[in-house]
Order: sequence, then C-alpha cells, then structure tokens
Amino acid sequence: MSKVKRSLLLVLCVFLLGGVLAACSSNNNGEQAAPSNNVSENNQNQDTEGPKDGGTLTLSTISDIVSLNPLFIQDTASSDAAHWVFAKLYDLNREGLVTAEPWSIAAEEPIISEDGTTYTVKLKDYAKWSDGTPITADDIIFTIETIMNPDTGSPAISTFDKIESINKISDYEIEFKLSQVYAPFIYSLVFEPVPKHVLGDVPVNELKAHQYGSNPEITVTSGPWVWKEWTQGQQHVFERNPDYWGEVKPKIQTVIYKIYADQNTEVQALLRGDVDLVTAIPVTMNEAVSKEEHIRMILEPGPQYEFLGFNFDESNFPNNFNPFESQKTRQAIAYALDRQGMIDNVLKGTGVLMNAPMLPGTWADPGARAKNYEYNPEKAKELLAEDGWVMNEKTGILEKDGNPFSFELQYNTGNSRREQVAQVIQNNLAQVGIEVKPRGIDFAAWVEQNLTPGKYQAILLAWSLTIPDPDSETIFSSKYFPPAGQNMGWYVNEELDQLWVDGYSTTDIDERAEIYGRIGEIISEDLPYVFMYRYGNAIGIGPRVHFDEADAPEPSLATGYFFHSINWWVE
Amino acid sequence: MTQYIIRRTIQALFTLFLVTIFTFSLIHLAPGGPTQVMISPGVSPEAFEIQKKNLGLDDPIHIQYLRWIGNLLQGDLGHTFKNNIPVGEILWPTVGNTMVLMIAAWLVTLIIALPWGIYNSTRVYGLSDQTASFISYLGFAMPTFWFGIILQQIFAMKLRWLPLSDMWTYGKEGQIGDLIMHMIMPVTVLSLGFLAAYVKYSRASMLEVLDQDYIRTARAKGVKERRVVFRHALRNAMIPIVTILGMDLPMLVSGAALTEKVFNWPGMGRLFVDMANAREYSVLMAITIVTSVFVILGNLLADILYAVVDPRVQLGRKGGAGK
Repeated sequence: MSKVKRSLLLVLCVFLLGGVLAACSSNNNGEQAAPSNNVSENNQNQDTEGPKDGGTLTLSTISDIVSLNPLFIQDTASSDAAHWVFAKLYDLNREGLVTAEPWSIAAEEPIISEDGTTYTVKLKDYAKWSDGTPITADDIIFTIETIMNPDTGSPAISTFDKIESINKISDYEIEFKLSQVYAPFIYSLVFEPVPKHVLGDVPVNELKAHQYGSNPEITVTSGPWVWKEWTQGQQHVFERNPDYWGEVKPKIQTVIYKIYADQNTEVQALLRGDVDLVTAIPVTMNEAVSKEEHIRMILEPGPQYEFLGFNFDESNFPNNFNPFESQKTRQAIAYALDRQGMIDNVLKGTGVLMNAPMLPGTWADPGARAKNYEYNPEKAKELLAEDGWVMNEKTGILEKDGNPFSFELQYNTGNSRREQVAQVIQNNLAQVGIEVKPRGIDFAAWVEQNLTPGKYQAILLAWSLTIPDPDSETIFSSKYFPPAGQNMGWYVNEELDQLWVDGYSTTDIDERAEIYGRIGEIISEDLPYVFMYRYGNAIGIGPRVHFDEADAPEPSLATGYFFHSINWWVE
Repeated sequence: MTQYIIRRTIQALFTLFLVTIFTFSLIHLAPGGPTQVMISPGVSPEAFEIQKKNLGLDDPIHIQYLRWIGNLLQGDLGHTFKNNIPVGEILWPTVGNTMVLMIAAWLVTLIIALPWGIYNSTRVYGLSDQTASFISYLGFAMPTFWFGIILQQIFAMKLRWLPLSDMWTYGKEGQIGDLIMHMIMPVTVLSLGFLAAYVKYSRASMLEVLDQDYIRTARAKGVKERRVVFRHALRNAMIPIVTILGMDLPMLVSGAALTEKVFNWPGMGRLFVDMANAREYSVLMAITIVTSVFVILGNLLADILYAVVDPRVQLGRKGGAGK
C-alpha cells in the first residue's frame, strides 16, 4: 500500500530541545571509515582476568521510552531499551551483514533462491518467550502480517511491502516470496517478533493502545533480560532472564536504564560513576570527558549525515525564479562551503566529510568516484560568473535577470549544531555574493508545514541510515514526491531514478557495488544536496564495564553502542 | 465567611472553565501534534492518518474539547497519545515529588527570611542588612541552573559528599535519610532564589510599619522596643507578606523546571517541558488544571488569611476582601 519504502528506514534526525533529544538516530561509526578517530583513552575495558558473573550495569538516556511494543517502536530510547529485552529474528554483525547469532531467533542465515525472490528462514527450535511458550513460525508470521495490515498503523509497514506471500513450512521454517527482486529485503528480516499468544486476539486497531509495551507485567519478551520495572520519567530495570533459552547466557544480572532530563547532568553522572555508559556525549563536552582518564571514549561519527538540501520546485521562490536550477550554481555553492572547517570548529572533530549518500567504508562506498568539493571560494565565484550571475555592486548580492541570489535556509530550533552550521553557511556564501537568511523553526511545526509538503527553499537536515543498505530511492527518486515520499526537494534525475531501481534489483553484491559507484558519481556531480558530513556523538564508557575487543561497541549500527552486550560484564 | 467562600469558589470554577478553553485552543493551535512528532516527514502518511483517526485527533477542536471536558467531569484525565498511559499515573507522582522539594525549599526560606528581614528592619544598613542585600542580589542575578551546576561540581563531583542528582538512590527508595541527602542541593538552590525576595519583603514591610504614627506613639509611651516590634509592628507587617505567600503557593506544584532538570528531580516542571515537546495534550491540560486550581486556592487562602492577621478585614462584605 505504501509507496514509501520503509525498508530503508531513513529516519529524520530530530534534535528537539537544546539539541538533546537524539530522537531517532543511533550514534555510529564505521570502523573502517575513520580508524584514526577512534580515541581510546586507555584499555581498562579489556580485562585479562576474564568475565565475571552478576552485577549491575547502569545506562542512561535523555528521554523516556514511548513503548516497548516492537510493532510501534520508532524512537531511540525505546529501541535502546528493546535491545535488552527482545531477541531479533536476525542480527547484524560488525560489518553490517545479516547473520544468525547465538542470540538470534533464526538458526542460520536465510537461504535466498537463485532468482532472488524466495527467502527461506529456519528458526531455532528451542527459543522461548519469557513466559516459557516456544517462539515459532506462527509468531514470526503473526508479527509480519500485523505490521503489513494498514489498520495497525505500524511505522514499519513498508519494510515488508515487497512480500507477495508467506508460507509456513513447519513450526520452525518459513518461506517468503517477494513480488520482485529486492536486495535490501534481507534487512527487513532484522526485527523483533511479538508473541502471538499474547497479542493474537487483540483487534489490530486496538494494538497501539494495548498495554503490551507499556506495562512490564504483561510485556512478554524474548531476550536475555526481562523488563522488571518502569518508573515513569526516572528509570527502567531489566533483570537477567533466569530461563533464557540461548546457549550464550548474559553475564550482567541487572541493567538499569536511567532517564536524565539534562545532558550535562548525564555526563557528570558518567564521570562520577553513577552511570556506566553514555551513548551520546554532547559535542561541547567532548573535551572535558576526554580529559578524564577513567572514561573510554569512542569518538566516531555514525551512519547519519547532514546535508544542505535544495528545493527544485520553483513555486517556492519569489517570481517563480529558482536560483538553484543550474548544476553549475549548485556546484559553486559546494565549493563555497568550508565543510572541513565546520567539522573542526562546530563538530569538534566528530565528523567525516561525505560526498555521496552511501556510508563511507561500506561495500557500497563510491569512494573517489564521488566528486569532492574542496573549499575554494574563488572557484565558486568563477562558476557563478560562468553561470550568468552578476554582482550588484550596490547590494553586494549576485543577480540574474534582475533576481537577487537570496534564499531562506531552514533548520530546527534548539539544535545548536545546525544553528551554528547555518551561520557558517551564511558567512561562507556571503563571501561569494549569495545572501542566506537562516531560519530556525520548531521541529514539529517544521515537519508539518515545510518538510512533509516539500515547501521551503533550502534546508539543513540529516538522514539517519538505520540499516546498512545503500538504497536511497525513496529520498532521491522522482517516484517519491511529497507528501507520500521523502523526495521533499522535488528532485528529478531520470538516469538516477533508473539506477536506484537497478541497484536493488539484484542480490549480487559486486554488481550492486558497481551501480552505487555510478550513482555516487552522478549524484555528487548533480548535487540535489550538498552532502556535508557524517556526524555523531561520542560514546563514553566507564571503568566498570568490561568486554573483549570482539564485543566492543560498534557505533555504525543502530543500537550498536550495545553491540554484543550479552558478552559484557561489570566490575 | 461561608457565603464568601462559596461565592469565591463559584467564581473560581468559572475562571477555571475559561482557563481550560483558552489553553485547550492554544495548545491545539500550535503547529505539530502528537502524531507529527512520532512520524518522520514523508514516512507512511497512511499510517499517520490511521493513527490520527485512532486517536480522535482528526475531529474538530470543539468536539475534542467537549470530549475532553466530559471525561474530566467524570474524573478521567485522559491517556497519553503516544503510549496510552493514564495521565494520572504520570502526573500525580510528579506533583508529589515537586511538592516535597518545593515545600522544603519554602519552609527553609521562611524560617530564614522572615526573622532575618525583621531583624534587619531594626538595624537598617547594619552588617546583617548589608549581607542580606548582597545575598539578595546574588539570588536574583544568579541563574538557578548555573548555581546548581556549581554546587554539583563542588559537593558531588569534587568532595563527593552529596549525590549528584535524582530523588532516591536505586535500591534505597523510601529511605528518608537518602531523600534528605538528595534534597540538600536543590533545596539550597531554590531557597537562595526565594530568600532574596522574602528577606526584602519582610524588611520593607516592617520598615513601612515602623514608620507609622502608632508605632511612634507606642515608643513615646515607653513601650519596650521588643514589644513594639513583635506586638505592634509585626502583625501589620505580615499582611502584605501573606499576599505574597498566597501568590507563591501555586509555585509549590508547578515546580521549578530548570532546577528539576539540573538535579534530575522527577517533578512536574520537568514533566511539563517534556510533554510540551511531545505535544501530549492531555498531560499538558492536566498540568494546567492542577496549576490553575492551586493559583485559585492560593488567592482564596491569602484572602482568608487576611481576616486572620487583620481583623479589620471582613470577608463577605463588599470592599472587605479587596486586595
């Protein structure tokens, strides 16, 4: 039903109040991408004495969960909490590939038919819900069918829109038939099933209001820990599940997930030892935290990238004159922006330049095939002149056919990073004769009035790639215009439209890599966005937390700061 | 008196009704809504519409208001949109937590401020008075959250005498000793803020009274200074202070969002900010109601206290209860 492919799970990064609500993104890295950024103050987290059993791990967040019902989870806090109590059908390994771990419900990796349209999934026959009921094919099918039912209102609905049919082969084997070859589908199989014996009789339109997910007592889960307690606005308590089915057992007895109202207090709590792990240290505090010898910091940006997005719909501009229409002008803007300067001064080093919408360091990274625009105001001026822009000496602003080069740059208020970057953009572009009027708008209002309908001139925004697949058709293809799609800037490029389709229509990874390389070339030349940088917050880990390096946090993955936490131990 | 209270209560209910209409419309006029915050731009507009419909958010505002007030009259504060949790379950604990903190801060303030202000009024521009002035300026000028952070740095981070934040230590919930340790810093921060005002009020109020003719008469009659101050002056000087106390009463529940934030105190001020961001209309309305009730109660109480401290004030008669 939905034209929007949620399979990409491109989630908008929301930083609501004071830049504190990291509402949707994980903090990530790509270890291959930026090894030099991996600052490890010391190695106290590696312990030669070996794992200890028991103990309490205290985590923190700056906003409470919404619901732990996996059918409706959308925010960071809820998915972070769900990590501890729910098992997934499949998990991701450090390279971002789909895999069946000892703690996954699936027994082995999915078998894909030669034509690429049939996926066979085998389950472990000993996985159990926290109430002792076995986890079977019925639960998996029930979960997917419920998500696919539009009346449920699940945000994950488009994850499964390529499914043509689901066949239960046995209690522990399921076959999915797709309507077309769709390579990113494999990532749709990384999800948390819900128990059919608990929710099966609930009418779908009442699921959202159901207590499952908000009342720990009735929230039957599948993971290594169970949800013991929720004190609204204060904390969650997860206790090790004594009857956990997995062959690998969790070591930590109690996990406390504390909610802080203020990021400063949260970080102080980490320094003091009240909290053992902070998943997002605000950039302004990086320096202070890195001075503390006992805190290990992982300082790598995640799979979210910020961009300066142009609008190609001329009705958004005075006199229907769209200054961004010409490719040369867009390239000039790219040259005029000191992106590295922004990384150094605003992001304090927690960023990496990005030239195409694929994650650097992954198999799909176009690398040098994507054009890099080094800061070069002279080159920018040249290109603008070639493109017919003439300086109006009176105003100091470029003009073309009597229209001044002036536009409004929107971003959400309260996000201090974007506020600062918007100012840098304003200054950078003023130097080449372009007037930028930055405008901060409350996030909710911005989404409703500007982003969803595609009504703005230019935006400063970020996408978070919550699954490691390079497919970005829904944000760049002309098939996905607002309000239904995410191509909010009304960008049209027929060659790219086709390449995005080609990219997911084969499961051959080399073939795909070639296609995304080509996309990288074209898109970095054509610039529907000026791709700015990958960014993220540092992860801070206190001295009580221990793990082998193989189980160290992997920020390039969603909830990757808890990567392999089942193997961690404390004290 | 009874008649007066009844009349005031009816007036109060009417005011409350107007407040609800006003806030309800304002909140709903603000762009964005509970579903908007949940859903990212462009993602599944169908799912968005379905959720809006399921939540009743696609009805006209007046219908939504009538439904809300209907439920309220039956004692139902409603449920949160995001996760269908009864509003009371979220709200009442925070009201309690805020009151614990604020009442403590208020009592500390009054115990220090009133005697100090009175003392200073008898020794104007003395050392004590100058100190009070200095502290007042400090209290007015210093941002509470900043002062809070300084205290945290000294007493929680460096000296480690006090807990950094929160109301209880995990596992020690309900232990008074633990609570008191957690309260010391936030109460200090809040008290300093209030102290500034109350020392000034009580000093100024006393000075005004001490300047009156009847005080001079009393002194002229040879009444002892102590008696002049406590018997003759204090009682009259208390009248304006009572007004201020009454006006400040709602503060006890509305909380101090910033202080609560810095010390991670699970109170109502913090809840209000969180819920405003989440556009949780039902919680916001509930908080408005609770706060309004306290505003009205505070004013009513102040009026009644007038009668206690000033027998000349006769309630229930025209002009008698004027402020």
